[in-house]
Amino acid sequence: MLFWQMAWRNVWRYRRRTLLTVLTIALGLAFGILMRGIGDGFHEQMVDNSVRAEIGHLQLHLRGYHRDPSLQKTLPDATLVEQAIRQTPHLLGYSMRVLGDGLASTADNSAGVAVVGIVPEMERTVTTINRAIVAGRYLDQGMNRPILIGERLSQTLDARLDDKLVLMVQAADGSMGGQLFRVAGIFRSGSPELDRGVVYILRTDAQSLYSLDSRLTEAALLLDSSESVEPARRFLAARLSSAPVEILPWYVVAPFLEQFIELDDAFFYIIVVILFFVISVGILNTVMMSVFERVREFGVMMALGTRPRQVVRLVIQEAVVISLAGAVLGSLLGSGSTLLVESTGIDLSRWAAGASAVGITATVIHPTLTFANLAASNLAVVLVVLLVAFYPAIRASRLRPVEALRHV
Amino acid sequence: MLFLLPLVIALSAAESPDADTVARQCDAALKGKTQIGAASMTVHTPDWERTLEMKFWYDYPDKTLIRITAPAKEAGSGTLRLGSNMWMYLPSVERVIKVPPSLMLQSWMGSDFTNDDLAKESSLPTDYTHSIDGETTVDGDACYRLVAIPKSNAPIVWGKLVLLVRKSDFLPRRQEYYDEHGTLEKVLSFDQIRRAGSRNYPMHWRMVSVRKPGHQTDLTFSSLEFDAPVPPGIFNQRNLERRF
Amino acid sequence: MALVELSDVSKTYFDHVPVRALSGINLDLERGAFAATVGPSGSGKTTLLNLVGGLDRPDTGSVRIAGLDISTASPAALAEFRLRHLGFVFQSFNLFPVLSVMENLEFVPALKGTPKAERVRRAEALLELAGLADLRRKRPDELSGGQQQRVAVLRAILPEPDLVLADEPTANLDSENATLLLDMMERLNKERAVTFLFSTHDPAVMRRARRLIRLKDGRLADGVEPDGLEP
Repeated sequence: MLFWQMAWRNVWRYRRRTLLTVLTIALGLAFGILMRGIGDGFHEQMVDNSVRAEIGHLQLHLRGYHRDPSLQKTLPDATLVEQAIRQTPHLLGYSMRVLGDGLASTADNSAGVAVVGIVPEMERTVTTINRAIVAGRYLDQGMNRPILIGERLSQTLDARLDDKLVLMVQAADGSMGGQLFRVAGIFRSGSPELDRGVVYILRTDAQSLYSLDSRLTEAALLLDSSESVEPARRFLAARLSSAPVEILPWYVVAPFLEQFIELDDAFFYIIVVILFFVISVGILNTVMMSVFERVREFGVMMALGTRPRQVVRLVIQEAVVISLAGAVLGSLLGSGSTLLVESTGIDLSRWAAGASAVGITATVIHPTLTFANLAASNLAVVLVVLLVAFYPAIRASRLRPVEALRHV
Repeated sequence: MLFLLPLVIALSAAESPDADTVARQCDAALKGKTQIGAASMTVHTPDWERTLEMKFWYDYPDKTLIRITAPAKEAGSGTLRLGSNMWMYLPSVERVIKVPPSLMLQSWMGSDFTNDDLAKESSLPTDYTHSIDGETTVDGDACYRLVAIPKSNAPIVWGKLVLLVRKSDFLPRRQEYYDEHGTLEKVLSFDQIRRAGSRNYPMHWRMVSVRKPGHQTDLTFSSLEFDAPVPPGIFNQRNLERRF
Repeated sequence: MALVELSDVSKTYFDHVPVRALSGINLDLERGAFAATVGPSGSGKTTLLNLVGGLDRPDTGSVRIAGLDISTASPAALAEFRLRHLGFVFQSFNLFPVLSVMENLEFVPALKGTPKAERVRRAEALLELAGLADLRRKRPDELSGGQQQRVAVLRAILPEPDLVLADEPTANLDSENATLLLDMMERLNKERAVTFLFSTHDPAVMRRARRLIRLKDGRLADGVEPDGLEP
């Protein structure tokens, strides 16, 4: 107990130096927390956008479809699958779709496209395509062979609202199928792949175009958050264990998203390591100076009977005080700034054009503060400080009393 | 004995034609100047099987017209090529669709032949460089092994073609298609060689996909006429759409 | 058995060149002694104190204190020994600047594990005895030099050590404070039977010692009675 008192008072003996060190630690920690918060917010935004634009949190197909898609691979026992989906926990919405590819043509031009057959009211519970319409309307069950195309496709084909567009496909029985559709709406999703290469038609039209009867290719689910993906997946896997169904989370469907996040995280950690290194140098200097200035005092302590182990403890305790002070201050600054920025958001729309070319569609980022992030950062700081303080602490404990006492 | 020498020389010259000659002769043997005829094509996949009946007109090297006559769902659809432009007609939507160059290498009507294979826009003698890599025998026929590598500016996706060309009349017995990494993709075999007009011709072609097991397409000619003049008005879009 | 027994002790230390600080020292010190080592500078009197104080180890010979041979003990063992058996007073900078007088006195008992209440009681009693009770909450930098040295002596004797070692304790004090310090030391020696061994080159201090241990060039010189010696 007396040691803690000594440690505490020793730390504040040189007020300005200690405050400077504490501030260094605090700023470093605060920076780390804020940056992590922004990074996490950014990633969540990206995932959310992708999930809500197209892929959903979970996708179900016939087993083997994802690896090698083909028209013949339709969902087995669609009724059973739909029932299971409806009971999935954390469910916000789901859509059962028909997927295929084909050639979309106007008089002037043709382009290969991916065709998505949807039930409009179902689809809007999962994706936000209905909100991305820039001309015309979203699909409606009452329309006659409507088609929804992306802005870029409309430019490539010179297909405008109400124009006729031919979809030529190879049907499930091998025959060539072709049907005429009318452009009901044009969308701008922000994702170049969607805008250039995906068209939406009514599911019933898709089934007749591809000679699929009432078969379906894919079920896509929207959950309340990305944390719910694992529990929902487990639920469905258990419910549908007897059916040859694959249940794919978003990061399997779009691995590049996850890969990008991992890469981004790696960069972050590199920066953090450099930052910590810089902070460590400062702390090492402070602790070494404080030990050097007290050599004589350590001599007296040892003469009076303090063991080397206890000297180490004293120096480490001083470092603990400094690091805790820095950690507390840094956590307050970091959390405060993160929460502040979270409420205002960071507007990236100025750089949006370049970003969306790489598939990044987040434009306003809200940093997030998580307990895990906060705890990990604090732990890291305290550990680093303790590690750094070990060297001077051991040096102090190895002082020989006779020489220390001779010191001025 | 000296009078035998020219004979020997002539014989040996005939014995070893150079690769370019082989390629040229092979191409001519298969194509002629024009071709008019009918054929039936059966496509086999692990999931379904379909047979199409068709009529075709070729005026080499620039013009091609193919029209499907059966089954009912596809009857009336057709493919027209003029130079490097290609169109398809779908009677169900009564529309002519232009086929973009990027789709030339897609399968024609779901078969193992590509649009390019059937439209025959690319040409063996002009778009490839050739060499002869030994000889072999196919079904008792002595054949040259002709290796054809696409020229760098030719719009061809294959890395290499290997043709086994009959020494006697330069008809191909087999054509192997390799991708850029040297992997065998598909094999086209020619048999049922019979007399068609003034020449021999393989009346049955079979394209077997190596990369997609279970996929193969059989093409059987029911009638074939070479070098007859093609009536005017055949190779245009209006003719493509005409009902018959 | 004497409290302190040195037999055939020698010590050489290195200061660019080897320096023979002590050679062939044979010495006994009785319990209750009030002794001073005297000699010119470089005579080895500080080294002798260091060896008796277990702050250093002899090169040859043995050092026994209260029957325990500390000549070959490890640094940790020596620290433990000093804690339990010895007390120290240095020439200056004795007290820990961040602790109050009271807390300075509590330091060694705290190291020994004495409970707080007990520590405080004993420290208070000692301060009362010395008439320094009103200094209890003051920090060392608030005390005069003389006060600091007297508190240092109290700190040294509080854990009731077998022996207190003081290296030139009056060197930085004026004659009045020096007298006060020696008065306290002598009182403690007589009333509480605390054994003192200190070093000095001050004749006034020498006169207060009951035994003088004379050193010259690292060896014992003769003489046990105080007399008017020059340093």
